[in-house]
Order: sequence, then structure tokens, then C-alpha cells
Amino acid sequence: MYLIKKSDVLRLAEELGKTHDLYGPFMEPATKQAMFERVGKAADIDLAAPIPALPPKHALLPHYEKILAYSYDKKTQKVDLAPIYDDRPKALFGVRPCDLTGILCLDRFFLGQEFLDEVYKYHRKNLFIVSQTCVAPFKQCFCVCCDGGPAASEGYDLNLTDLGDTYLVEAGSEKGKKLAEAMGLAAADAKHQAEKTRRIDKCITLFDSVATDNKAWISRVMNRVTTGFIDEAVWEYIGNQCFECGACSFVCPTCSCFNIVDLPRKNGGAHESDRVRTWDSCSYEGYTREAGGHNPRKPVEDRRNKRFFCKLSYSQSKKYLRPGCVGCGRCQWVCPGDIGLPNVVTYIRREIHS
Amino acid sequence: MMENGKIVTIPAVATIDEIKDEIPNVRTYYLSFDDKAIDGAFTFRSGQFIMLTVFGEGECAISLPPSPEKDRFHITVRSVGKVTRALGGLSAGDKVGVRGPFGNGFPFDEIKGKNVVFVAGGIGLIPLRSSIVHVLQHRKDFGRVILLSGSRTPSDIMYKYNMKEWQENCEAFYTVDNPTPDWTGETGFVHTLIEKAKVPVENTVAFVCGPPVMFNTVNQELMKRGLSDEFIISTLERHMKCGVGKCQHCAVGRTLVCTDGPVYTYRQIKILGEQI
Ligand SMILES: Cc1cc2nc3c(=O)[nH]c(=O)nc-3n(C[C@H](O)[C@H](O)[C@H](O)COP(=O)(O)OP(=O)(O)OC[C@H]3O[C@@H](n4cnc5c(N)ncnc54)[C@H](O)[C@@H]3O)c2cc1C
Ligand code: SF4
Ligand code: SF4
Repeated sequence: MYLIKKSDVLRLAEELGKTHDLYGPFMEPATKQAMFERVGKAADIDLAAPIPALPPKHALLPHYEKILAYSYDKKTQKVDLAPIYDDRPKALFGVRPCDLTGILCLDRFFLGQEFLDEVYKYHRKNLFIVSQTCVAPFKQCFCVCCDGGPAASEGYDLNLTDLGDTYLVEAGSEKGKKLAEAMGLAAADAKHQAEKTRRIDKCITLFDSVATDNKAWISRVMNRVTTGFIDEAVWEYIGNQCFECGACSFVCPTCSCFNIVDLPRKNGGAHESDRVRTWDSCSYEGYTREAGGHNPRKPVEDRRNKRFFCKLSYSQSKKYLRPGCVGCGRCQWVCPGDIGLPNVVTYIRREIHS
Repeated sequence: MMENGKIVTIPAVATIDEIKDEIPNVRTYYLSFDDKAIDGAFTFRSGQFIMLTVFGEGECAISLPPSPEKDRFHITVRSVGKVTRALGGLSAGDKVGVRGPFGNGFPFDEIKGKNVVFVAGGIGLIPLRSSIVHVLQHRKDFGRVILLSGSRTPSDIMYKYNMKEWQENCEAFYTVDNPTPDWTGETGFVHTLIEKAKVPVENTVAFVCGPPVMFNTVNQELMKRGLSDEFIISTLERHMKCGVGKCQHCAVGRTLVCTDGPVYTYRQIKILGEQI
């Protein structure tokens, strides 16, 4: 455990920026929203910015990514295949605990199942994560009911906790420890640890008064989502409100469905193509449409309940080793149909269908 | 490159050695891997599939119709969309890409000694062919072996060149919905053959593949005769992108067709509770 003066905390980011592509939160003037993106310099980072509009998952699973470049010349029958792996060192500075939990879900899903996702593995290889404890919730948050926050317990290289005029710096890995030592940070003691605990407790008590947008008792519905004991009419009611826009999937730290298409290379030769992987959403009608037009999941409610199955069922939890929702509240925030996860949980709990 | 006997990420280049017309719009492509090491090492189980790349167009999931033993490596593909139509435009000597084999495969060890009934509707024979050939190669390990194949017209019968051999080695029945004057086989939908063939239900397992309507009627008929849904086995088809459990397009209930399937029992399919 170490300490760093508040006015010095971005020196850590600056140091990381020397060897990594630096990502962090900042207020975007044009949209007046908090974003978590690559920054030009450490000073652009604003650790006090609210929960960013999009989680940092794009650093590991970009919206649009070339994964294979190839060419096939039919005249000579020559095939060239060149996989594209991105192992650039990236540092995510100031990640919120919910979003860190999201990354851990992605890790377990992409690296822990029967097959390992090679593309993701490379993105993850040289990643440095600096998380920060939330000392107060935002209006939309319900991480406390999903075990997604407000403090990170694993998965970070360094974790920051705002203690007033200093940050408590905890190392979660050898890499993190090395950096803290190299920066010559002062040692923290039990008193600082106790202050961190006090601040987390305080944060949790604030949920009632501050995090007023969303409440979701997900434990009350997990069993029913898993076993399917939910009235069809409830799903229809939920489905009927969905605009099939896909926003919920794109803002979710744990949604990772993707599409793959092969495209002719832009400005490339006649035989050159790129295999591209892009974000996708199970809310789209084309998501399950088969060649020839048959669609086993045609009605919107059959598609809409999939998302909540992924977030809330025990079967899916086995892949993440925890629930698939981390309680960030983003889907509720963006959904034009008002069927973000917390509302859906409420509909299921109360069997609301009209 | 192969990992645990599978080509997982980067397609291996294969050459189309020969193309055979099957029925209108459906062709069989005999393939061999350009890398001799892969050609020697590539093995699979009946019921598994590959991800086929048509260069410049994309990838799609394709079953493996050959028997895992003593059979030429080939695929049979119907031209329906972007990738499969482009494949239809290729000629012998052209290159394609292959990843796989993926999926669980048929449970042959569990069904030794049983009667085996294959019921295929149209190109449903493609995913079943591997098992049919396999069972006939090990004829002594099984009880009665029955093949019921239904097609729209006589010119829609798949693998016609295997017909004679199959009729000699098992109880094979072919039916068409719309006969031509020279048709000497059965007429009517394939489920009507179940009665005609006196399909047993004791100690029996049925493999059923075909379009959704056919699948449902055949299963109802088999169950009416007393065959348990545990012993009706099929493969599911889903829009699929990666083949290795990551893109999630092929989710059916809590399972993924690419890694948990494509072979399911009818009981499993019913429990998963999604449309076929
Ligand atoms: C396990 C398995 C085994 C199979 N075995 C065989 C076999 O042996 N023989 C055979 O002929 N077929 C088989 N199929 C079916 C075969 O995979 C499809 O026919 C094939 O994918 C069609 O691809 P296409 O590009 O030609 O068709 P298209 O419909 O043109 O293309 C489908 C692709 O186009 C894109 N696309 C099309 N519509 C949309 C949309 N609305 N939204 C988003 N993207 C869209 C997607 O990328 C999609 O993958 C099998 C399928 C599975 C799952
Ligand atoms: S954000 Fe809402 S409306 Fe849009 S796809 Fe998701 S659930 Fe449907
Ligand atoms: S389901 Fe909604 S609230 Fe839960 S993690 Fe995803 S975006 Fe956040």
C-alpha cells in the first residue's frame, strides 16, 4: 500500500503513458458526457469525471477490428493469410470497479472456455489496469446488488482510492508493485486502509439517497430466469417496448457478441480482403436469421429475453463466474424503450405485463 | 496451424480437387489440404462440422458428410446466399479455407448394438451421410439399420450414387412428394415410411435431419409409436460466425450449437425451448 498526493496522481498516468497507449476518463466538451478513450497526454485525464458513457471494453474488443488480412489470386492460385493481432501495451487509468468487473467477465469468457480467443488474448497481453474506488455512487448505479462495486477486489494492477488530499494506491500485481516502487511512492499504513473502508461504507449508505434511478434485486429473479418460470406475457410486454436499436448491448461492459464479415480491402489490390469483426446485438432481427430467410428467433420477445438470460441466468454465470450484470446502469440510461436491466428485473419480480 | 487436432483461428488452405453436381443448386466438393501435415492429421467425428472460407466472400458452417474412416474428404453445399453462391462459382483447382473440425458429433459409442433408423428430408441427408457410411462400415455392431429418405422429386434425391449400395446393405426406402412417370420408389412424405418400414422402437435410436416441418412430423410419428425423445437425435442449424463459442450467434437456450451441438437429442431440444 502506498500514498500519492492528489495533485501528483496523474504522474502515474504520465509514467504509464511513456510505455503504453494511455486511456482514461475525461469530459468531452462537444457532448458534455464523460468518455473513456485514448488520451493525448496524462493531463487530459479527469479522475473526477462521472461514470463514462461507454465502458472501456473497446480497448479489448474494438467496435470494428480487422483480424485477418488475406489475398487470393485465382490466376496463380496463391493464397496469403496474415492474422492481425494487436498486443500494443495499453494502460487503462481510472477504471470504475463495475467496468473492471466487466473486463474480468470478458476475460473468463474469452480466455476461459473450451476455446481461447486469440484476438482477445493479444489485446489483453500487455494491458495495465489502474482502477479507482467509487467513493460516491451516481444516479444510475446499482453495483451493490450485483457485486460489481463500489470497490474493486481483484483484477487491477493498481487501485486508487480518494482519501481527501491523497490517494491510497494498492498494488494488485507484480507489475503494479514495480511501478509504485519505481515512482518512489510513500508507504501507507493501517490507518489509511481503515479510512478506505470507511469511505466505501459511506459510499454504500449513499446509494439510498443518491442512486435513485435504479434498484434491481437481481438475486430475486436469477432462479426464475434460469428455470424459465416467467409468464410469456411478461416477455411479450418487455419485447413490445424494444426498438431493436442495440444500444443496450453496445454500452454494456459484459456484452461481447460480435459479427464477422470479409470485405474487399479499402484501397487494396484486386485480390485483397480483410476479415473484420464488429460489435453485434442479439436484439437485431438479422442476428439469428439464417441463409434462405428462416429465423428461429423471429418475434422480438424471443430475442429480447436472450439478453436478460445472458445477464441473469445461472447457466451464463458459470461462464463469467458471477452474474453477467455488473450494475453500471448504462442500459437503463440509454434504452429508448425503458427496458434496461433494472426495469426488466422489476417486471419479472412483480409479474408486470400490461 | 493445428491446436489439439483443430484449426481454430486461421483457416488452412485447401484445394478443390473435384466438383460433383448433386441436385439442382447443390454440389459436392472434394477437398485436400495444401499443407500435407494437416492433410495427414485432420480427423473428425461423424456429426462435426467445419467453418469454410470462400476467399473474398466470407465464412460459413458446413457439415462433414464423409465417414471419418476410408472416405474421400468432401463437403456438400447448397448455394443459398453470399458465401455459398460464391463457392458454387468456383472450379476444380481453386482454393478455399477450412477451420475445424468443431462440434460434438454423434454418440456412436453409446448406441452400439441398437437398431439405427436414419430419417432424412431433402438435404438433411448431408449431415447424416457420415453416420450412415460409418454405421454401414461397422454393420455388425448394430441391429437393424433403416434409412428413410424423402425428397421433393426424383431429381432432388441426394447422393444418388450411394443409393444402390445403401439399398443392398440396409433397409433403405426412398420416397418423393411429386413422382415422375418413371419413378418406381415410394410416394408421399417421409414420415409415412415409418409405418411402411415397420420401424422398431425397442432398443432403437433414430437420427432425424431435415426442414423444421418434416422434423416435427417425423418426431411426432416416432414418439406415437413409442420411441422416447431421448433416442431421437438430430443436428441443429443456426446462423454461426466463429464456430468456437465466442460470437454467440448460434445460442439455443443455454447452449451454443457450435460447441455444445450441433448434435442434440429431441428431448434436449424440447427442454431448451426454442424454435427449431
Ligand atoms: C452446423 C451447421 C452445419 C451446416 N452444414 C451445411 C452443409 O453441409 N451444407 C450446406 O449447404 N449448408 C450447411 N449449413 C448451412 C450453411 O451454414 C448456410 O447455408 C450458410 O451459412 C449460408 O451462408 P451464405 O453466405 O451463403 O448465405 P447468406 O444468407 O447470404 O449469408 C449469411 C451470412 O450473411 C450475413 N447475413 C445475411 N443476412 C444477414 C442479416 N440479416 N443480418 C446480418 N448478417 C446477415 C451473415 O454474415 C451471414 O453469415 C450448416 C449450418 C450449420 C450451422
Ligand atoms: S436499448 Fe432498449 S430498445 Fe434498444 S435494443 Fe436494447 S432493449 Fe431494445
Ligand atoms: S446489463 Fe445494463 S446495468 Fe448491467 S452491466 Fe450491462 S449495461 Fe450495465
